[in-house]
Amino acid sequence: MLASLNRATKQYGRTEGVRDLTVEFPPGEVVGVLGLNGSGKSTMLKLLAGLLFPTSGDVAVFDGPARAQRARVVYLGETDALWSWMTPDDAATFMVGLYDDFDVKRYGELLASLAVPRRRTKAMSKGERGRLRLAMALARDAKLYLLDEPLGGIDLLSREKILQSIVRGWHTDETILLSTHEVAEAEGLFERVVYLREGRIALDATAETLRGRGKSVVQTYREVLG
Amino acid sequence: MKGFKTLLWLEFRRNGIWAAILIGSLAFWAWGLFQVRLVEVSQQLEVRAILLVLASAIGAVVLALMIGRIRSETRGGQFQVLLLTPPSGYVHIAARYAFAVATAVVYYVAVGGLAWWTIAMSGLPLDAGSVAQLTLAVPFYGLGITVLPLLAWTLLLMVFIAAYRVSGPGWIPGTVMVLGTPFALRWLIEGIVRASYRLPGWHLFGGLEGAIRQAAAQSNGELDPIAVLPQEPLWIMLAVTAILLAIAGRIWQEVEG
Repeated sequence: MLASLNRATKQYGRTEGVRDLTVEFPPGEVVGVLGLNGSGKSTMLKLLAGLLFPTSGDVAVFDGPARAQRARVVYLGETDALWSWMTPDDAATFMVGLYDDFDVKRYGELLASLAVPRRRTKAMSKGERGRLRLAMALARDAKLYLLDEPLGGIDLLSREKILQSIVRGWHTDETILLSTHEVAEAEGLFERVVYLREGRIALDATAETLRGRGKSVVQTYREVLG
Repeated sequence: MKGFKTLLWLEFRRNGIWAAILIGSLAFWAWGLFQVRLVEVSQQLEVRAILLVLASAIGAVVLALMIGRIRSETRGGQFQVLLLTPPSGYVHIAARYAFAVATAVVYYVAVGGLAWWTIAMSGLPLDAGSVAQLTLAVPFYGLGITVLPLLAWTLLLMVFIAAYRVSGPGWIPGTVMVLGTPFALRWLIEGIVRASYRLPGWHLFGGLEGAIRQAAAQSNGELDPIAVLPQEPLWIMLAVTAILLAIAGRIWQEVEG
């Protein structure tokens, strides 16, 4: 198994992020992690990235503690986390120096296809910064990609470019966990969908199973979470 | 090593402006020292010494603020990016610390240079050995017993607070650490005083004996013509610094984002 949570609970003081969460992610899946605000999507992805430690239960990635596997996992957080002075070239220097799996050629191609301007992030729009962060993430050759709201607050055309890049860059041995509120746009990507409600799994099903029931991912979203 | 170099480059890009402003502020201090010529002659050396002490103290505060800029990065999300990079916490701490120390060395050696200039302006004769001691030995000794442990402590404090930010109230451990520091410092200083002068001291400014006697006569004070620096405080504070940095590096690996 590539990654798993076993009865994982995460508490922020008295607030619960996720509760008693058990789920496994094998290699080669594109998984949609869907839920309303505060349902535990980000907490789950952060636990898998090793950015959070479970209050109880276990989180394993590549059969080890999540934080210890950080060199092999790509995590794209929802916050706009780049230094204001950073240009795409600076970002390349940063990534090349810290990640052995960073592919400069692929990064250049992604910058071009995502139309990222060659200026400081301070002078970029939110969409441009989002595309730069995605280029940095997808230019790595990892087996597990954790993408938390990469489409949040980004214009329609940029969202389309981002989704296209995710599809183009995906290899069959890689697993992508994508959390988004843009369910209708991303629906076509998902092979499996994990619906979260109040920190627990409300439904975990393949897209094929949902289609077999005559439901789309969006319809099921409304049914399960509405 | 590649990771360390990249993190050092990142520090340069993050804090280069701070370092440049700090080092640039020496021009202001030099101007201030020069203006002291308008003060009565008997008070000039004293006023200049006060200005140099002030420059050193403000420099230490600025350096501590520079190295402790973790809070804004935790809010902005950059700290989370760093937490998930492959280098260990020790490498991150080492890079942050190395850049701050490099800035401190440049700054305090330059302050030592200003002290030399001050003495030269007073018309006191300076031999080459004493100049080297004034501009290198004294700044490095001062750095070792004050600024280096201060920076390590600041770094540890900020990492300690960050470690409790997500899953608990970070202000509690922060307050405990800040309040506990004076007691720890008192205990440490008492220990240093007890241990000092057991090892041979370092003699400084032997060549400046005549000049210092002259300065003592000018200020009607009694100055020890030859300064003897005990070496124990330096070794003890360097050991404390290493321990603080090691703890900060270990805690970094437990910080959540």
